[in-house]
Amino acid sequence: MLEISNLHVAVGGTEILKGLTLAVPAGEVHAIMGPNGAGKSTLSYALTGREGYEASRGSVTLDDVDLLAMSPEARAAKGVFLSFQYPLEIPGVPTMTFLKAALNAQAKARGEADVSATEILKRVRARAEELRISPEMLKRPLNVGFSGGEKKRMEILQMMVLEPRLAILDETDSGLDIDALRIVAEGVNALRSPDRAMLVITHYQRLLDYIRPDKVHVLVGGRIVDTGGPELALALEKDGYDKYLAAA
Amino acid sequence: MAGTALPTRRTEAWKYSDLARALPGVTLSAPTDTARIIEALAGSVTHIDVPAETSVLSVDRFGADAMEARAFAAHVKAGATLTRVVVQTATDGVPLGAVRVRLDAGATFRQFIYAEGAKLARFETEVSVEGAGAHVELNGVYLVDDGRHADLTSQVIHAQPGGETRQLIKGVARKGGRGVFQGKILVAPHAQRTDARQNHHALLLEDGGEVFAKPELEIHADDVQCAHGNTVGGLDADALFYMRQRGLPEAQARALLIEAFLGEAVSASLPDDLRAEILQRIGSWLGASQ
Repeated sequence: MLEISNLHVAVGGTEILKGLTLAVPAGEVHAIMGPNGAGKSTLSYALTGREGYEASRGSVTLDDVDLLAMSPEARAAKGVFLSFQYPLEIPGVPTMTFLKAALNAQAKARGEADVSATEILKRVRARAEELRISPEMLKRPLNVGFSGGEKKRMEILQMMVLEPRLAILDETDSGLDIDALRIVAEGVNALRSPDRAMLVITHYQRLLDYIRPDKVHVLVGGRIVDTGGPELALALEKDGYDKYLAAA
Repeated sequence: MAGTALPTRRTEAWKYSDLARALPGVTLSAPTDTARIIEALAGSVTHIDVPAETSVLSVDRFGADAMEARAFAAHVKAGATLTRVVVQTATDGVPLGAVRVRLDAGATFRQFIYAEGAKLARFETEVSVEGAGAHVELNGVYLVDDGRHADLTSQVIHAQPGGETRQLIKGVARKGGRGVFQGKILVAPHAQRTDARQNHHALLLEDGGEVFAKPELEIHADDVQCAHGNTVGGLDADALFYMRQRGLPEAQARALLIEAFLGEAVSASLPDDLRAEILQRIGSWLGASQ
């Protein structure tokens, strides 16, 4: 479903991704692990079309459609969702208003009818309850004054409401205590589905205790240098990235 | 020559607004204090008296393609409230408004200015807190497009103790638009326990937009709380990307961010119909300019 082939991305003149190749079939959850500076966040921005993270070589397709030629909003409408490592605060825009605008913008881009306000309200409230997000928080401007854990839960809420085809979770575990981590992981697991692919980017194995990946890829020096099953994450936790760094 | 020339950029109180250039050929028949030019051009001052414990709403609209100068003097008695709303829509005219307000003990003056700018638009507000525990709220937004100039100038003098000022002015400027904010808060030596906050924030929506800001706090008392903030910048690129990642087209994401930015200054205390009108005007200004 997601096919990344020989992807090269330079940021501010320095090449960060140096020929990254990766495929995630529908229905699977893949984890990407790597040390600081390996290019994990660059990958998430390149996939979502952030300015300054354009590919110089290689290709990325989702369901055989070229993602790299599309604007960020067109990719979102195609079903690409990024849970940000550092979710942004959007002052003055209530969470509910924002979600409604996002849902309807995506529907419009796909040529679908608007989702009714009551339907959105129903959907958001049900999901919010699962994530222990209070109705009061939904009225507040998106993420403004929220704690790190609340912001991450808000990302997962958006993911649940937008129901993406490809979900990218960038360091979703950072800044979460054990309880919040469990709530977030339950939310992610509830979204596992045969027609959805997920890419879980993380530093630590901890998150993968809760979200069990089908495959684990090791990203070092801008390339995937190893791929294995969940046991690979445990080995990395024990031995670190030294052997890969030495080889790179 | 009998008359007095209008202020130019050499005149301190008018340094960002060149009135002589906006009104060529206009002179005044008698020498006038530069801080009283608008009164002189208006020719007369309308007096508003707000009796104790009453409320008055005054709405002042500007929208002519000519010079419109209007001056008010208000006296708000103990415990009374004066709410003033100025709505100025874009023209090639020269709208000029001045209001001088005296507040007695426990009185409230609330003002909201909506300004789209004109060839030259200037709104002056001067408030004297002359009784203990008076409240001042001076909010406003300016939205200036190519060739428009909007100047919001204010002075609040806290002459008595325990007063409170809340000022929040927000502005946006497109290419060729110019916004001016001059705000002074003066706290006299015995005006203890004054609590004053002044904020002015502006967004330059395009290269070539201009904003001039002169925030001033002059504090002569020692037991006061005064804070001010002043920023001029562009739209937050990170927030914009975040919103686009969620599927909002760039134009819609920008409009939502700008509306939210300006909306913070549109006071919740405004009468509902005026508040709705102002939010609607902001929406159409943003829509029309895209």
